[in-house]
Amino acid sequence: MQRTRRSLFARLVIRVAVVLAGGAAMLMTAAWLYARAAADEAYDRLLQGAAIQILDGLVVEEGRITVNLPPSAFELLGLAPRDKIFYRVMAPDASTLTGYEDLEFPVDIANARTEALFQTSRFRDQPVRMVAASRAIADPSIGGWANVLIAQTTEARQQLTTELTTRALALVGVMSLLALGGTILAVRYSLRPLDVLGDTLRRRDSQDLTPLAVDVPRELAPFVESINHFMGRLDDRLQLLQRFIADSAHQIRTPLTALSAQVSLINEEALSENDRRHLDRVKNRASELARFTTQLLNHAMVIHRFDSVQLSPIDVVDVARKAFRAAVPITIDPDIVVSFEAPPEPLMVLGDGLSLREAIVNVIDNSLRHGVVSSLAVRVIRRGDFVLVEVEDDGPGIPAQDWAQVTRRFVSSKSGEGSSGLGFAIASEVATTLNGALAFRERTPGTGFTTFLELPLIDARPSA
Amino acid sequence: MNLSTMFHAVVSGFVTAALASTSALALEGERSVFPAPGQERTRLVINGVTDADVIAPLIRDFQETARDVTVEFNDYVSNDLFREAELACRQQTSHGDLWISSSVDHLVKLANDGCARSHQSEETERVSAWANWRDEIFGFAFEPAVIVYDASQVPPEDVPRSHVEIAELLRRKPDEYWTRIGTYNVQLSGVGYLLAFHDAQQAPTSYGRLLESFSRAQVVTSCCNKEVLDLIEEGRLKIAYNILGSYAYARYLRNNDMRVVVPRDYTLILTRGAMIPTQSPQPDLAARFVDYLVSERGQKVAREKAFYFAENAPLPPGVDGPISLIESGIGRPIRVGPALLAAQDRATREEFIRNWSSLFAPGVP
Repeated sequence: MQRTRRSLFARLVIRVAVVLAGGAAMLMTAAWLYARAAADEAYDRLLQGAAIQILDGLVVEEGRITVNLPPSAFELLGLAPRDKIFYRVMAPDASTLTGYEDLEFPVDIANARTEALFQTSRFRDQPVRMVAASRAIADPSIGGWANVLIAQTTEARQQLTTELTTRALALVGVMSLLALGGTILAVRYSLRPLDVLGDTLRRRDSQDLTPLAVDVPRELAPFVESINHFMGRLDDRLQLLQRFIADSAHQIRTPLTALSAQVSLINEEALSENDRRHLDRVKNRASELARFTTQLLNHAMVIHRFDSVQLSPIDVVDVARKAFRAAVPITIDPDIVVSFEAPPEPLMVLGDGLSLREAIVNVIDNSLRHGVVSSLAVRVIRRGDFVLVEVEDDGPGIPAQDWAQVTRRFVSSKSGEGSSGLGFAIASEVATTLNGALAFRERTPGTGFTTFLELPLIDARPSA
Repeated sequence: MNLSTMFHAVVSGFVTAALASTSALALEGERSVFPAPGQERTRLVINGVTDADVIAPLIRDFQETARDVTVEFNDYVSNDLFREAELACRQQTSHGDLWISSSVDHLVKLANDGCARSHQSEETERVSAWANWRDEIFGFAFEPAVIVYDASQVPPEDVPRSHVEIAELLRRKPDEYWTRIGTYNVQLSGVGYLLAFHDAQQAPTSYGRLLESFSRAQVVTSCCNKEVLDLIEEGRLKIAYNILGSYAYARYLRNNDMRVVVPRDYTLILTRGAMIPTQSPQPDLAARFVDYLVSERGQKVAREKAFYFAENAPLPPGVDGPISLIESGIGRPIRVGPALLAAQDRATREEFIRNWSSLFAPGVP
């Protein structure tokens, strides 16, 4: 048994979602890295600016460096309002002029002479960002490079990073959701032809083996072609089979006729009681076989006609009357009341007269054979846009649970009787081909069991 | 007693030299105890730089909300409190539950060195941004630096209404005001230094001129506002410069001749900061007091009984000054923040004080 795997839709959406989630994660990481770099850059400039200002404040007076910390330098650093500041100003001889003497730069500050150095480090158990900057002191007595170290805690940087990242997060989130939503819509839209195709196949009549005529995207075309190819082959096979059956039936009829003739020539008088009974059975079986062969031929004929004959407007009343005459034999038991009722005006349907007649004949025949006790009524009535050909008898009828079954081939209501029938099958096939149906109605105290063909009128115009 | 030493030093005119010697003494805070109105359960120790009688109304009102708390308030000179606090912080020992100082630069330095405990509450949200740093220092008072003069000694035409006018007055009438002007000794007083440092920032030229005039007029300097105000009341001084608004106005309420002028060119505005030290034995109790100080109730009491000036209120009646300090842009709040570290820098401070001292006592290095 074929197992149903996860739907194409789910596969696509899950994969796209995974890709989107992965992409979003990567974007977020990138956004965080960028945000951190941006925050570092922004606040590093403040640090550097403050360092330059402090270095500018160094003055050599009487062979001594004096420090005058410009408050503006600290105001600059104060733009990170919650962050602590640690600084150290060093003379060329590395002695501390002012500030936190325990503040050390993690790398050699000699490199700070060309440009300011930045480091992320720790000071007094808190993460800090540090800058080291140098300035040449142009005084003969204390020549050399004065250094300033500034460390600032990183609250503002982290806050800015978080803020930037959060904004990016919102953006990426919205974009991902949009992309996912768009994907779902696109996948739905793209998969719609599949649904249409499935629907077409599902709604198709089981007998219909004509090529599928649906517009499908290029990707589905091979699939549809395969189906059509396969159906074509199946159709060919079926036609072959039917022709074989028809040929066989035809071939069987001739010896059967001969057989019947031979049987009828047997002198019954000369037979014993027992043999006569056997002979009766042989006669019955032979006629049954003849009827069955005829039905087979009719069936083949009906199918052949629908394959080859163009449907045309026909009058159901006329066809039904002819069928009634054909089906009710002249030799019918005179105790059985038969009747035919039809409206005076013609009721037109699109169909094939011969096939339809055959269908009605089969229904009446079935009723006569298996249903009728004392009355048979055939009626043609119009109901809305449909015309109904009803065959009512006073027999026991077919139980409702068997209705679906009896329209199949070689099944009859009373299995024990051995009367394998194609009658309902032919009638049903014809009705379906004409966009109608074969249906049954249970007997009620007032009415008998009714079998009816329901066919659509050509159009709803009252004049039709 | 130190105050009398100071007094004599001032009177005898050897101001700077005498003060240099007293600064070497470590001052113990003056202790005031406010017993709990109810059954005492805990004792809150506050080490502060504020006259006890100024902050008393706030403490008493606080005790109404916490009836089982006895408050011990130790009044320090700002530099002494800073020294003690720094030492305690470095040695990780406790030094009171709460520190209060108008020398906010000291508090900023202490907070920068990790001596402060962070505290956040609904009440602390009310503190203006300029008066709160890292939720560690909370400004709870609004103190403009004002000019005080004795109306009985200073004729109306001499009343200075800006920094420049003081300098001009001293040039116009040097003899009348010679040794009759008083101000903070920046060497002794942290608040004095902070104000002088910011004066130099705000108006470098006019402040330079002002200092020069002060120097010529042999300005009397003192550690504390209270002493300068006392000297005016006693008739020894006529004008005092850079007096904290609350002290000045309290004196005016007592003696209507002590007039208060809020300078009209610019006015430095200081806040008093409260800080819970890391080693505070009772940080929760201290936080409760901080919450009280900045609460609506505390601020109302402060405005009515303790500090008189407030950020969002008009000047108290009788004060000569611009109608609105902040909106006119005349008021320049000294922002509690890392910029104050520059003022606290050892080298910068030494340099500043050296320059200041050289002006005030020529010949004494």
